[in-house]
Amino acid sequence: MGSGNDILDMYIYETNTLLEQLETIVLEAEKADTFSQENVNEIFRIMHTIKGSSAMMEFDTLTTVAHRIEDLFFIIRENTMSVVSEDNRPALFDLVFQSIDYFRGEVERVEADEPLNKDIDSFLTNINTLISKIKGEEPEQPAAAPPAKAPEQPASPAPVPAEAPLAGSSSFPHALRVTFDEGCGMENLRSFMLVTSIRDFCNQEDFCFEPADVETNPATSEAVSDHGFLLMFKNASDRENAIPVVKSAGSIQDYQSYDYQPAPEPPAVQAAPETAPQSAPAAAKSSAAAAAPAGGTGAAGATAGQQHAKETLISVNLSKLDQLSAVVGEIVITESMVTSSPDLKGLNLDTFSKSARQLRKLTDELQDVSMSLRMVPVSGTFQKMNRIVRDMTKKLNRPAKLTLIGENTEVDKTIVDNIGDPIMHMIRNSMDHGIEETQEERIAAGKDPVGEIILSARDTGSEVIIEISDDGRGVNDEAVLNKAIRQGIAFPDVEYSHREILNFLLAPGFSTNAQVTEYSGRGVGMDVVKRSVEELGGNVSITSELGRGMTTTIRIPLTMAIMDGMEVSVGNSTFTIPINNIRSSMKVSAHEVIHDSSNREIIKALDSFYPIIRARDFYQLSDGFTEIEDGILLWLESGDCSYCLFVDELLGEQQVVVKQLPSYVNSYNVKNFGINGCTLLGDGSISIILDVANLYKAAHGA
Amino acid sequence: MNEDILFAKDQVFDLTNEDEAAADDMVDTQKYLIFIADDLKLGVIAEYVVEILTNQSITYLPRVPDFIRGIINMRGQIIPILDIRLRLGKPPQEDSLVVVLNLDGTQLGILVDAVDQMIDIDRSVILPMPSHSTQLLVSGMCSLPDGSGTMMVLDCEQLMPHE
Repeated sequence: MGSGNDILDMYIYETNTLLEQLETIVLEAEKADTFSQENVNEIFRIMHTIKGSSAMMEFDTLTTVAHRIEDLFFIIRENTMSVVSEDNRPALFDLVFQSIDYFRGEVERVEADEPLNKDIDSFLTNINTLISKIKGEEPEQPAAAPPAKAPEQPASPAPVPAEAPLAGSSSFPHALRVTFDEGCGMENLRSFMLVTSIRDFCNQEDFCFEPADVETNPATSEAVSDHGFLLMFKNASDRENAIPVVKSAGSIQDYQSYDYQPAPEPPAVQAAPETAPQSAPAAAKSSAAAAAPAGGTGAAGATAGQQHAKETLISVNLSKLDQLSAVVGEIVITESMVTSSPDLKGLNLDTFSKSARQLRKLTDELQDVSMSLRMVPVSGTFQKMNRIVRDMTKKLNRPAKLTLIGENTEVDKTIVDNIGDPIMHMIRNSMDHGIEETQEERIAAGKDPVGEIILSARDTGSEVIIEISDDGRGVNDEAVLNKAIRQGIAFPDVEYSHREILNFLLAPGFSTNAQVTEYSGRGVGMDVVKRSVEELGGNVSITSELGRGMTTTIRIPLTMAIMDGMEVSVGNSTFTIPINNIRSSMKVSAHEVIHDSSNREIIKALDSFYPIIRARDFYQLSDGFTEIEDGILLWLESGDCSYCLFVDELLGEQQVVVKQLPSYVNSYNVKNFGINGCTLLGDGSISIILDVANLYKAAHGA
Repeated sequence: MNEDILFAKDQVFDLTNEDEAAADDMVDTQKYLIFIADDLKLGVIAEYVVEILTNQSITYLPRVPDFIRGIINMRGQIIPILDIRLRLGKPPQEDSLVVVLNLDGTQLGILVDAVDQMIDIDRSVILPMPSHSTQLLVSGMCSLPDGSGTMMVLDCEQLMPHE
């Protein structure tokens, strides 16, 4: 994946990261009901980067939208948040959220190689309306504020005026020469972006630029990179307004402002930059201009800081990491193959043993490091939930807040990628079915009128536990049972325990809400959650107290690549059983085994009875012990199944690198028979990793 | 189905070669690796062959069809092994070797009796199987140029799991 077009990959990655940042900022700002100046700068910067990179990729619609939003925040930045009246703030927040969604959607299209949505007019109108609203209510216009001309100006690039005066130095006395970073590429487009930005606050007739055909003629990029891009204004104030725009644009190396002085022989425009590189008047006029070449102030400084912080992080293609962990896994195995080689038996190798110990230490360390590379905090996934709660709060008109705990818990990247949907589903469920419909209902129940959903993650060393709990109505056992009976999942005459009833919620095709809503209750609900969590090797459980709320607990092994396993042998075959699933092992004699009517074997342990599954019979192996005295029973537990597996011998505990079986054999559904993967043992042989729950299902189901 | 694909490929070839090939009468050949399984000479397109392994210990994998003998560890890669003899419904043989194939990204080892030779065969001499043939795993056949017998073209499509 993603090997063909690195630039595009980078663009997608970068834009998504920026959008995430943006969403976090806006969510927080919405809580405070204002944007701090810092936020505004940051949003401005984000939009600016998106605009710039979209322009580079020639996604015109994205550029235009980003540009308008940038304009919007430009106004706010210049006038502080006070320019937006209380009434307009919700609209502003909504607009930013809409734009995040818009960009996300478009980036997804880009990723899927689909054409972009060309119809952005209504969206632009929304932005423009808001801009004019904000402006309309602005009591006094500071000199630096852009004139109200902007909203009427069409955002899509207007054709460059052909009659733009070329040698109009005398009519456009205030010039600004912009030079771009060397080798930044696409100078013509960058220049044109500047022009469009300036056009927003400056009348077309009031400025001109050189070369004039930057938009249509790619050849101009050379001229721009050699001589700079020349902007000329009728009024000095327009130039001043242009300076911040130029400053914030990407890849700008430098700019100089100077005024046209009537010389004996009027210099050709092309030569103008060289003949009059006088920045003195400008320096006097604008301190910003003077400071800028030195490295920039305010926003520019913040940007620089941001970039510096970024440098300590690099993004790596996940497949490279996979490759690394695979190789490291091999090294660990090879290391033990070498150090425990049978050839060394009986030899007295002091130095060798010493070095071997050192090697083991280092390989262990290497393994830890390579594992940690794949670990990422869950915060990204958690933060996304804020948005869901926010949207649903508005839509359902049920105030609720989301509390995040343990956002910094780190889990394997694969898990983070796949856990988002289940969590989202549970959150929606809590909002939709959990939190009471009206505040009165909550007050009557003696609860805070604002519902609370707590999303927490914690790491127990071997697994990560994610809990989604709400303080809503809780699960009504009776309603669930009735529903389950209606759905044919439960039987009317059977008594079910509280726990069993809750398990119905996870059954396929179960949905308690009578009405299907936009967010949840589409009949494919919790069972999908359950399945996707199980695919990650985890499990889901629900606890609930009527009237107090519901808690969903998702347990997932910290990483799927390495686990502690017990090696067992059956005949010539070796199997690995996850240590987490083993309760104990026991030797029993034949007379302790009880047979039920269908001649299945049962064993009594700790005052309870458990079925025995013989691995040899279940897997139809040609050899292995048949007498129960000869072998050993492993008491296994996973989720709600508990049983004993009869194997020949325990070979020992070992940390194993989990390898997926080739898809070729997986297509024969071996997973359903409890064969989950395999691992390579020290001697290079293969051990099959068993899935305790599926093995039980296969042996006792159907 | 595979025959369709083969024909389709041939047609494409014809079209592209028509202009220049017509003049110098180019022969369109394909390299095959011929191996022996139960007295049959089977040919597999040489490009599919990754390597040939001997003395591999195969780990038995339960709950799969008989002809999948298990999996092997080839330098850390887990590769399923399909016994050609068992797949053809013949009794298995002890002394055999593994030919590892890469079929469109799927790595698969096939267990065969022996490897015979590598040979270039003109595509046009490969004939389809007789229409009522019940021979499994074979998509076409041709006489070997050295007169040593007939080569059956292994139908790799049939090696893949169905469903």
